[in-house]
Amino acid sequence: MRALIDYLRLARMYVGLNLRAQLEYRGAFVAQMAAMAVNDAVWVAFWSLFFSRFPVLHGWKVDDVITLWAVAAAGFGLAHAVCGNALVLATVIAEGQLDVWMLYPRALLPHLLLGRMSASACGDVIFGVAVYLAFVRPDAAHIALFAVLAAGVAVLIVGFDVLSASLGFYLGNSATLTDQWRFSMLTFATYPATLFRGAVKLVLFTAIPAAFINLFPVRALRSLSLADAALALVGALAVAAAGAAAFHIGLRRYQSGNLLTMRG
Amino acid sequence: MNRPSVYLHVGRTAARSHLAYLGEVAARATFLTVLLYIFLQLWRITYAETGADRLGGFTLAQMLWYLAMTEAIILSAPPVTPAIDQDARTGGIAVHLLRPISYPFYRLWVALGEQLVRFALNALVGAVLATALVGPAPLAARGVAMFLVAIPLAFTLDFTAHLGIGLCAFWLEDTSGLALLYRRATMLLGGVLLPIDLFPAGLRSALAFLPFRDVVYGPAHLFVQPDGDFLVRLLVRQATGVAALGLVAAAVYRAGVRRIHAHGG
Repeated sequence: MRALIDYLRLARMYVGLNLRAQLEYRGAFVAQMAAMAVNDAVWVAFWSLFFSRFPVLHGWKVDDVITLWAVAAAGFGLAHAVCGNALVLATVIAEGQLDVWMLYPRALLPHLLLGRMSASACGDVIFGVAVYLAFVRPDAAHIALFAVLAAGVAVLIVGFDVLSASLGFYLGNSATLTDQWRFSMLTFATYPATLFRGAVKLVLFTAIPAAFINLFPVRALRSLSLADAALALVGALAVAAAGAAAFHIGLRRYQSGNLLTMRG
Repeated sequence: MNRPSVYLHVGRTAARSHLAYLGEVAARATFLTVLLYIFLQLWRITYAETGADRLGGFTLAQMLWYLAMTEAIILSAPPVTPAIDQDARTGGIAVHLLRPISYPFYRLWVALGEQLVRFALNALVGAVLATALVGPAPLAARGVAMFLVAIPLAFTLDFTAHLGIGLCAFWLEDTSGLALLYRRATMLLGGVLLPIDLFPAGLRSALAFLPFRDVVYGPAHLFVQPDGDFLVRLLVRQATGVAALGLVAAAVYRAGVRRIHAHGG
């Protein structure tokens, strides 16, 4: 427990440092956040157009899809605003750049993940929260559950980033494969779960665990279902555990790139 | 030296150098497979729930082929804006100005050469996937021919818009935000995800004054529903769009080039 609190403190310090570093280039930071929010807004606009023509899609209404985009964007953004290095982990492993992180007395993986903040991810967080508040108009209980579920999605996304990037330990330069796996996950995760059936649905609970974003969180928020919320969180923790295991087993195969690296 | 054959050579060289990256095809195949599978599921359910044979004038098979072609077009767009942005911001454009060819036309032909290769590969992958998912294309040779006639001007129109945005780097710190806005507008308002026939009537009328539909929707619509009159109207709109945006880009270019100060080196 003490170790956990210790790492939460470290996370808070890193987030503060990374945010100050981003604010050094305030214009670029705001521009990147705005660009990402616009990017997300286009998808919400698409779904609004779609549902204006076809009001119900296999039981899903426009509010469900907006909830899905809100929780997915907020979770994805939170993941990379706090653990920005998760996005580049495949390259770090492939190029043998882990050495510098191994010199610290902290546990390697969480420390490495915290080392960077993605500016555009902050735009995702703002978009996700704003769109949920503006369009769904939730009460306090829904807002609290939304916050918990977005945090759960963030854990799942970081876990999945680590899992997919860890392919690099086993396959060498796996950046292309990692990108495709990650792209498949994000694409499936942002479409209504009701579209998928049979074998594909099985895949969405296992190899591409998108169901823990596009199914359980939406059901939980639709009817304040704690059972669905619990399933979403259990799925997120399972993916995070799989990612950590794949990383630490793979780490035994790691070979240094003999790179001279400095951290500012 | 400033002859069409020179630009054709530039385009051919860009196409050939891009052929070296055929490894991208595998990545693109995964990308398109996931997208088209999801679109198929989305529209299969929508057709079933509405009980309609046709939506926006398209059958389910036509809808999937339409989406395969819109994705092939949109995914083939080369990174024009970053290259022009880089040239303008770093002053690298000064080196291009020493050459006996026009910089905007040089960039146009590089983009067309690269886009041609990307588009051919995307269309091939999209056609294979659409055939696997909904069967052979419900189309005629006439549709393919009209599609191919409309594509070059669609690409040129898209390039002209990107040229204007990229050249704004003479004044702006970074044009990537503007470029993203344009790309997303093309995606949404160009009919990449949803045919324009399914948009609300008011929005459809407003889109008639914007270039986005002429880049994506027009050619893809011709692919599944060939129509001579539609083709003529589309070509006129595309040519008008290229001329109008070209004038704007030319003005931006002239104003931007006046700001270049070369100090040797």
